[in-house]
Amino acid sequence: MVPDTDSLPTVKRPFRLTVTARIALLAIGLALVSNLVLVAFVWQQIRDDSVDALRRDTIEQSDALVSVWRSGGEPALSRAIAEARAPGDFSLILAIVDGSGQRRVGVGPQDITLVGAPEPTAFRIGKIGGDRPWSEREAGYSVRRIGANFLVSGRLLDDWEQEQRGIEQAMVAATLLSLALGLLVGLIVTRYVGHRLNEVADVIEGVAAGDLTRRVRGVPGGQDAFDRLASRLNAMLDKLERLMTELRVVTDGFAHDLRSPLARLRSKAEAAVLQSDPEAREAAMGGLLVETDLVMRMLTTLIEISRAESLSRDRFTSVDPKALVEEIAELYAPVVEDAGMTFTTAIEATSGRVILHRELMTQAITNLIDNALRHAGAGRSVTLRLSRDDRELRFQVEDRGTGIAEADRALALRRFGRLDGARTTPGAGLGMALVEAVARLHGGHLALDDNAPGLIAAIVVPAD
Amino acid sequence: MTRKILIVEDDAGTAAYLAKGLGQAGFSVETAVNGRDGLFLASEGVVDLIIADRMLPGLDGLAMIGAIRAAGIRTPVLMLSALATVDDRIDGLKAGADDYLCKPFSFAELFARIEALLRRVDLAVAKNQVTKLSVGDLEIDLLARTVTREGRSIPLGAREFNLLEYLARHAGQVVTRTMMLEKIWNYHFDPGSNVVDVHIGRLRRKIEDGFRAPILHTVRGAGYRLSADG
Repeated sequence: MVPDTDSLPTVKRPFRLTVTARIALLAIGLALVSNLVLVAFVWQQIRDDSVDALRRDTIEQSDALVSVWRSGGEPALSRAIAEARAPGDFSLILAIVDGSGQRRVGVGPQDITLVGAPEPTAFRIGKIGGDRPWSEREAGYSVRRIGANFLVSGRLLDDWEQEQRGIEQAMVAATLLSLALGLLVGLIVTRYVGHRLNEVADVIEGVAAGDLTRRVRGVPGGQDAFDRLASRLNAMLDKLERLMTELRVVTDGFAHDLRSPLARLRSKAEAAVLQSDPEAREAAMGGLLVETDLVMRMLTTLIEISRAESLSRDRFTSVDPKALVEEIAELYAPVVEDAGMTFTTAIEATSGRVILHRELMTQAITNLIDNALRHAGAGRSVTLRLSRDDRELRFQVEDRGTGIAEADRALALRRFGRLDGARTTPGAGLGMALVEAVARLHGGHLALDDNAPGLIAAIVVPAD
Repeated sequence: MTRKILIVEDDAGTAAYLAKGLGQAGFSVETAVNGRDGLFLASEGVVDLIIADRMLPGLDGLAMIGAIRAAGIRTPVLMLSALATVDDRIDGLKAGADDYLCKPFSFAELFARIEALLRRVDLAVAKNQVTKLSVGDLEIDLLARTVTREGRSIPLGAREFNLLEYLARHAGQVVTRTMMLEKIWNYHFDPGSNVVDVHIGRLRRKIEDGFRAPILHTVRGAGYRLSADG
């Protein structure tokens, strides 16, 4: 089957040719033009050749006959003319004509048109007379003056016409051949192009149907349009697959994270409804609010994350990172200490303000501290470190907990990608996702390292 | 004297809920359903507080506040919004709102903030440059930045002093955790852990341990209240 690019449902349009038909037409046209030009050239060449030959023969013959006339006069010429005609030769013209064009002797039309007569003509091509068969075809002839009369010699363009007929047949053949060749080329080209495009279309169709692993085969590093199409499309599909996976992880994780507080909310609401003692009932209602707030907080964080990924930089202000860290330390040191851990602040960067989003950066750092609190275990320490080199500014939170195995770090960075072991602690997944989003917003990234033992989580941003 | 509150809110459900709650709390309430009406009522200058939704039909909430401020009306405005991110809050405050509260909110939080706003106006009207605050037997010297209770000096850190000063300025009123985070630490996000409780706990130990009566009370489901009488 000829691949048809219009088989996909499209909007109703005025009639238009399919690509296959267009390519076929183009191929036919090209073949036709090239064949016809060739045939026309051959045709012209043959015509010129035959006319040349005729001219030569005619002039030779008339020269010979004129010399016969000179030596023997008209009677000798008449005899020579009678002898010159071979039996069955109907195209020969050989006659003595008087001044008015009337044939006196020989073969030829009764009344010969002498163009420009009585001027002798060396050689011309044209209709020689008004009566058949001379009027039907052109003739090549010469007119010579012999005394008061004229000698007309030449031939009807018999041979040449035959040639022409042959040429015409050749032209028809060439046209047919061009049509066939054009169709064939059109078919082959559209087959090939269609095959490659259909491969792409199949992949897109597969992806649309849900199989995101499909890719277009192509020559890696190839430079032609098809290779570029394949590589661009594959790159796009890679990104799409990554985004889809991320989205699925987000949705799954979010649904999972939301389930537990909602389930608790529901059971507490149920318990409150069933509670008959007013005081206990009020207490149960209070519990409902706590759970509702937790869900609200998750939603707010989620919005904050998606905002952070597309925030304009006009929200940024010039901030002294040292002051920023000190404020956080002041706020969190008692919290960490109350949790039974020691809190250390290490400020290694000395000077220089940076442009950043103070609130979001603070929130991200406090999220890291919260995370450390949750996972470091009691009796351990948490360190908040600010360091800076020529290129980078690091807001770093170090704990002495169990850390994260190297293989799991990529997963930990993924939104909601909470490690299974930590699934029982509520709400941690979103926090790290927000940290990463904030780091990205500042043109940096979240880095996880081994603190041997424990985890080093650092927000690394470029030092402007 | 009954305080008059103007509610500018296009959502009828929320407006009715607010009007009912505020009415029960003893406020007289007037409502407007769009920014234009809100601006008109506000410019009459007889309301004590405006509660405005951020997204209103016609004249948007931020624009309405801008117009009110441009007209020289200093009535405190509490902005309500479903937009909850840090930047949304900051935008609201920049536009001229005195406070910003995200939907859904608890009535405890709303009352605390309304009380705080009205108190601020009273203080401004009184124009008395206070140098000393006292709550029961607790004395705060704002100039020397010293605190004494029952005549005994209590050493406090700078942030603890700010916290106590804020509580004392709103003595007898409920102050919520988010209010303290916003006013003392200038953070407009919800840290999620009990940071404020920890700081209050420390402050409480300093001003209550070894003294006869508690003075910093926890209001369940709402926040804290500094008050001599339980």
